[in-house]
Amino acid sequence: MSKSILALCRRPPYGDALAREGLEAVLAAAAMEQAPVLLFMHDGVFQLLKDQNAKSIEQKSVRRNLEALSIFGIDKLYVCQHSLEKRNLNCGQLRLPGIAIELIADPGRFIAAFDSVLSF
Amino acid sequence: MKFTLVIFSAPHSAEGAASALRFARALLASGHNLYRVFFYGDGVHNASALEAPPQDESHIVAGWQALQQQHQLDLVVCIAAAQRRGLLSASEAERLGKPAANLAAGFELAGLGQLVDAVVYSDRLVTFGD
Repeated sequence: MSKSILALCRRPPYGDALAREGLEAVLAAAAMEQAPVLLFMHDGVFQLLKDQNAKSIEQKSVRRNLEALSIFGIDKLYVCQHSLEKRNLNCGQLRLPGIAIELIADPGRFIAAFDSVLSF
Repeated sequence: MKFTLVIFSAPHSAEGAASALRFARALLASGHNLYRVFFYGDGVHNASALEAPPQDESHIVAGWQALQQQHQLDLVVCIAAAQRRGLLSASEAERLGKPAANLAAGFELAGLGQLVDAVVYSDRLVTFGD
């Protein structure tokens, strides 16, 4: 059975454990050949920032989980344009090797196109 | 219709935990099927056998246990999220050399594969958490 699955990543990378646990669930799904599409919105856009120094607050970097996505053939991530602009960020500050980023102007319509949504 | 509930809220901390239990009761009473309840993140605390709220407050763990007995529910707690937060079955406590176990009867520890399976085989996935 094949379903289109969206993972909604809304949590700040180190402010909420569900940021990391959400990515772990995404990787588990991808390993079972149910790779979801990922949409980052609200404070979740901070997960994608390059130059994170997680060690300085005794945390594991979420970047490692994100970089593992390409192993499972996920080569594109979607980011809510409004969330990014509201936080005064731009695409150039969100870089992951081998993974493209596409901005989404209308997240409501984007989300509605999926069969299931995993909300983190 | 086949439902799966995903719960991120800790009981007595966030509204989502109590709402999830009431939602589960309502959907079963309406004749729907509850394929699985998956406890993740802080939601793992819904499976603590040591929950001891004052008598005049809702007893959420016991609520899930009663529903589980009545409908043979599949109450699954993510094992990785549970270990991080000190929610252990007797065998996990022994394996990890911990002094006590606290996984309530009626709940099971399992991996994230059970969440993925539930997404695939349920008609509706409803998430409870902030």
